[in-house]
Amino acid sequence: MLANLRQSISDWIFRATIPETPPVTLVQRRIFILPTRQGYVFAFTVLILLLSSINYALSLGFVLTFLLASMAGVAMLHTWRNLAHLRLRPGRCDPVFAGETAHFNVSVETPSQTRFSIALRRRGDEPVYADIVASEMASISLGVTATRRGVAQCGRLEVFTRYPLGFFHAWSYVDFGQTVLVYPRPDPLAGSPPAQSRSASEEGIPVPGDEEFNMLRAYRPGDTPKQIAWKALAREQGLLTKEFNATASSELWIDWDEARAPDLESRLSILCHWVLQAESFGQSYGLRLPGREIPPSRGDAHQTRCLEALALFEAPR
Amino acid sequence: MKLKLFSGSPPPLSTPLDVRNVMWLLAAMVFVVGPHLMRLPVWIGIFVVVVVGWRAWISWAALRSPPRWLMWAVTIASTYGTFLTYGRIFGREAGVTLLILMAALKLLEMRDQRDVVLSIYLGFFLVMTNFLFSQTIPLGLYMLACVWIFVATLVGFNRVGRSPTLRERLRPAGALLVQALPLMVAFFLLFPRTTGPLWALPQDSRSGQTGLSESMTPGNIANLIKSEAVAFRVQFTNGMPPYRSLYWRGPVLVDFDGATWSMAAFSAQGQRNYSRYERPSMYTVTLEPHNKTWMFALDVPATYPEGTQLLSDLQLRHRRPITERMRYEMMSFLNYRYGENTNPPQINRALRFDDTRNPRLVALGRQWAKENPDPRMLLQRAAQFFGTGFTYTLEPPPLDRTNPYDDFVFNSRQGFCEHFAGAFTLLMRAAGVPSRVVTGYQGGEVNPLNNELIVRQADAHAWSEIWVKEEGWVRIDPTAAVSPMRVENGVNAALGPIGVIPSLIDADRLGLLANMRFAWQMLNSQWDAWVVGYNMDRQRSFFSQLGFPNIDWRTLGFWLMIATFAVGAAVAIGLLVNDRPPKREASLVAWNRFCAKLAASGLARAPHEGPLDYLARVKAARPQLAAEVEEITRRYVQARYGEGASREDLRALARLVAGFRAT
Repeated sequence: MLANLRQSISDWIFRATIPETPPVTLVQRRIFILPTRQGYVFAFTVLILLLSSINYALSLGFVLTFLLASMAGVAMLHTWRNLAHLRLRPGRCDPVFAGETAHFNVSVETPSQTRFSIALRRRGDEPVYADIVASEMASISLGVTATRRGVAQCGRLEVFTRYPLGFFHAWSYVDFGQTVLVYPRPDPLAGSPPAQSRSASEEGIPVPGDEEFNMLRAYRPGDTPKQIAWKALAREQGLLTKEFNATASSELWIDWDEARAPDLESRLSILCHWVLQAESFGQSYGLRLPGREIPPSRGDAHQTRCLEALALFEAPR
Repeated sequence: MKLKLFSGSPPPLSTPLDVRNVMWLLAAMVFVVGPHLMRLPVWIGIFVVVVVGWRAWISWAALRSPPRWLMWAVTIASTYGTFLTYGRIFGREAGVTLLILMAALKLLEMRDQRDVVLSIYLGFFLVMTNFLFSQTIPLGLYMLACVWIFVATLVGFNRVGRSPTLRERLRPAGALLVQALPLMVAFFLLFPRTTGPLWALPQDSRSGQTGLSESMTPGNIANLIKSEAVAFRVQFTNGMPPYRSLYWRGPVLVDFDGATWSMAAFSAQGQRNYSRYERPSMYTVTLEPHNKTWMFALDVPATYPEGTQLLSDLQLRHRRPITERMRYEMMSFLNYRYGENTNPPQINRALRFDDTRNPRLVALGRQWAKENPDPRMLLQRAAQFFGTGFTYTLEPPPLDRTNPYDDFVFNSRQGFCEHFAGAFTLLMRAAGVPSRVVTGYQGGEVNPLNNELIVRQADAHAWSEIWVKEEGWVRIDPTAAVSPMRVENGVNAALGPIGVIPSLIDADRLGLLANMRFAWQMLNSQWDAWVVGYNMDRQRSFFSQLGFPNIDWRTLGFWLMIATFAVGAAVAIGLLVNDRPPKREASLVAWNRFCAKLAASGLARAPHEGPLDYLARVKAARPQLAAEVEEITRRYVQARYGEGASREDLRALARLVAGFRAT
């Protein structure tokens, strides 16, 4: 209850404009700094040292006390500086299957000196630490277990540091609005796509595909390296593309209605597994979902399209 | 640009602490308790070494920490051991011992970061405890090194991931400490000092405070004489008086029980009834703390500082025991006569003795008085008596307990100032001459570099005063009869080549060694005056010298705040200047400004557009600007992609951009 209240107060105080346009530079007014628990204990220590110095009239005791107190003050500036002027950019976030670890990548740069022990964390997660060396791009990857299918939001990131003495916690918030697409968890028990889903129509009519070699034609941008006639290129005949005919009989429809499962997520898991199966068999396949149909094809781009469709199908927000 | 990847989670808190970090902490602990171990009982040293070794082994071999019951057992055992050693667990030595033992045990049960931090804070306390025993320059520097190691350890523990190198630990820690120095000095000078402790000090809170005591039994001062510790320092403002008149008056001992001379339990505050006062001498005394109330001045004090009182026997007393270094200004008359009309009770007191003890000496005195009661005659006889057959030595044989002065005068005939002063005073009383023993210091050593007189415990002395009608109290130094050198040239001269105190070799008084010694002493004297002895009085006089008389804590606090902000700002600016992007980017700043100006006029640079393409486009669109735009672009390209640019080039570019109008 109290924690929730504190959280919402902190959300209100530190509300950021989202999403921000990269790169984000941690300028002075973005950085907050407060003593840590260690810092408070240190302050208490210094206080006791001061009282002892006064009581015993120890001049060197005063020297020690004031040296430590001043050092803490200087350390505050160092901690703040350790974070100041860092430049952050969002990195690519690859889609994952539910149950896997999604990685939100952020790259961090320092304008001048090496920054030690810079940490990045999502709310409630363990931080990831990095040393940011000048003229190097440090890519910090925050691993999160993707539990739910759909779009995983990175949310607001806290970048913080306690270096060098741990007396102060300097932090800043950035929100790039990063997301990771989470595909359904493939259901390994789903078996192969059912045979009856093969389309019986249009049998025997050749369709451009890549099953049987048909002819060589001029290269068009977008042709995959697999299709390029490397031998012809070696004979200096120019960049040519091999064209195949797909056999219509090998076409496969992965259909929503075929996947029998009690609930939506299990159904999607089954479909997801079938998509992966079909792709690994090298079959041409299409995906049929209520209200959406992806025509049969094959290849990485097609698989991604299908998986995206599954991930976003009535996606939980 | 290199790319480095960081991913995954940090090690959870339960993993063992980094071995190297732990070793650093252990080393720092050993360093800081080192000076203590040399003065505390041996078992404590062994305990610390064993515990630290055990902890090192635990870390090294990744063993488990000792079980809880064992920790409790050791804790109780060590507390009990402390109690057995000292008979208590409070007080300076016992308290420090207990703190050391607990710090060692804390190392042993250290499990996570929080324990480490506590151990380091304990380490800072241990640094402080060292100052209870000594505040010399070498110890100060040593402790500074210890603090550095502790801070470096703390830095090491705050580095997550790769264990830092030696340089990566020491450098940031050193930088923090160096940058903290100015503020530390400001605080040290400005922090309001108080007088007196906040709470009662344990009796043994001070060390090395040897000094004179309230009583004198033959054999007492010998320990003092062997001590080289500084009693006080004197700076004369109108020239140093001759050596033989440097009698620094301390406790006056009137009561005598046959063996021990002691101070009068109650002495009246004095009226200064000087009938002759000539040859004033002005000087400043820097007195080391000795936990007693008396202060030292040359015979006879003319003025006395605030907060002190002058008793009728010319003892200078402070209101409270002197527990910190104190400076006071004095004026004395070296040529004087006082006390002709001392009241009868005081005279009677100075005649009292127990005639059942030291019968032979008493009989001798009475016999002399019968033959000629004139004090002058008696003095002459006494001088002759002590001048023949007596030897001055710091190591006299032990004396009979009941009749020590008989034993001394008629048997051993070897002794030093207090034997002679005691025996002479008793002799005078037996002869009917009011007399008393005065203790204090005589002479001192002049530091030729700053003309300061250093009076050491070795210069402790005892002499007599006799009361003569119409003359008042007259100082008689019977030691002078035995060993005139003692009074003329100091204790080393008196002892001659055989009895020389080893480290005070006078042989190369003007040699290199002596010069170094004097330079070192001068440094120590400055250190003592400005650092160790910086108290409320010193603070006041420092600020009144700067032109702020009557400074109070509000003013000090105000300046303290100013200093804090000033130093903080200086450090922050220093850090930010260090943080500036490299020079090369100054051209980029100018270029971006230039592009922004053009963009505002509707000619924005596309993100993919290089400077030269952009130049071509701008020239086509705004032919009237061609020359200016070309110049800016040329300079920018040269600075950023060419061979670089000097500071002047960059400034010229910035000027061009500043003067550029896009329309």
